[in-house]
Amino acid sequence: MNMKAILSLLQTDQQFIQRTDGCWLEDPDLDVERMTVCMVEMGARLVTISAMPAADGETRLVYHWDIEGNLINLGTLTREGVIPSIAPNCPAADWIEREVKDYFAVDFSGRENLAPLVLRKGDHPGLFHWNGQLLEEKP
Amino acid sequence: MSYTIPIGPYHPALEEPYKIEITCEGEQVRDANLHIGFNFRGIEWLARQRNYVQNIALFERVCGICSNVHTLTYCMAVERLAEIDVPPRARYIRVVVAELERLHSHILWAGIAAHIMGFQTLFMTCFSLRELVMDLLEEISGNRVNYAMNCFGGVNRDIQDVANIMAGVQKFRLRLENQLIPIFTTDPTVRARCSGVGVMTKEQAIAWGALGPTARASGLTQDIRKAVPYAAYDQLEFDIPYKTSGDVLARIIVRVLEMVESCRIIEHALNTMPSGGWKGFVFLDVPPGEAVARVEAPRGEVFYYLASDGSDKPLRVKVRTPSFCNMPTVRLMLQGASLADVPLVQASIDPCYSCTDR
Repeated sequence: MNMKAILSLLQTDQQFIQRTDGCWLEDPDLDVERMTVCMVEMGARLVTISAMPAADGETRLVYHWDIEGNLINLGTLTREGVIPSIAPNCPAADWIEREVKDYFAVDFSGRENLAPLVLRKGDHPGLFHWNGQLLEEKP
Repeated sequence: MSYTIPIGPYHPALEEPYKIEITCEGEQVRDANLHIGFNFRGIEWLARQRNYVQNIALFERVCGICSNVHTLTYCMAVERLAEIDVPPRARYIRVVVAELERLHSHILWAGIAAHIMGFQTLFMTCFSLRELVMDLLEEISGNRVNYAMNCFGGVNRDIQDVANIMAGVQKFRLRLENQLIPIFTTDPTVRARCSGVGVMTKEQAIAWGALGPTARASGLTQDIRKAVPYAAYDQLEFDIPYKTSGDVLARIIVRVLEMVESCRIIEHALNTMPSGGWKGFVFLDVPPGEAVARVEAPRGEVFYYLASDGSDKPLRVKVRTPSFCNMPTVRLMLQGASLADVPLVQASIDPCYSCTDR
């Protein structure tokens, strides 16, 4: 796997860190739509998106891709709670993005259906931000 | 004129809740819309409230069938972050239990598939074989389900009577090869019911991220045990069965052949299992950082992401189960299918709603 070529396609100034559990790259300004087109063209499989709270109310998203058994982990941040959806170019992201919205209230722009997946219709998104409060107490 | 049939959350095929809205033109399915979340327990949120050791018991309960795979993947992620080595014997024991669990899962699924086909004698045959596997798991772990075998850096129990486990696996393999494989591969009822039904192409499987036997029935060949070997899989001989027709019959055949391979793996592991230590740690310090781990579960790749801030509780544990990836593909398989095939097609991916919802 040519990591330099991947960096060039992603148009990022950051560098990969090679670890036992794959290659990791962190870029707060990562163009996730470009990333998706590149990865899909290379035949990569979207493993999942891991999300966690970050500073200033933002959410850190790590996009995990598999290329022939090699794991590529690309981390970035939401911008004012929003990040472009990759589902139009990668159908595998459909349910994953909906679940991230349920858990962290991240808005994925550029897609039509962002209905709750594991929560019920009408539930307030952002389970990890409710911090376990009961339904009627949540913001 | 099209019409929509809502099925579920309680439905005729499987005893777990989910809902599917089927839009039909006459008897032909035009589209399907899946709704999940009826088993949602917030396990990822709960994991932040418990310490690392308590979370082993929590993750054992993600799934009632492949419970061992979840604790294995979680322990592997923690071991990677804490830089803990697992003794060779423990690695082999992990393989034996994981493959017995695969046998249990696949034979359970085969029985349910036979039941949905209306082939009740085959259903009974599968479930009698399942008892044999569950007896072996009980002998090793003391439990028929939720085996509590994994801990950080090792396993909780040794395999003491290797000869008895070997005899049980060989007995299972004999009945599998003499009874089940001929029925599932040549019986006209099975072929008529499953051939050409619920097709998913290789291209669709790639785009939608299908995994495990569901993907391998559509021509994909990846298996984490070979692609990224863990435990002792790099020391053991086995093949990865796959088919290219992408229909229900292909999914059946791939799983049946995988059972033969699991028997091979267990026999090889028992024959070559090294002596020595196998115990792990009760407590450990997990440094700050993040790690991921992947394991080939019976339904496909299980993926855990773990983030630590150095405290005794994880900052974040992301659990991605194979059914979560495979379930959206049911929509593709159903488009153009006959309405009567809906239960069989949705069951053909071996869905686990408990896993999917977490």
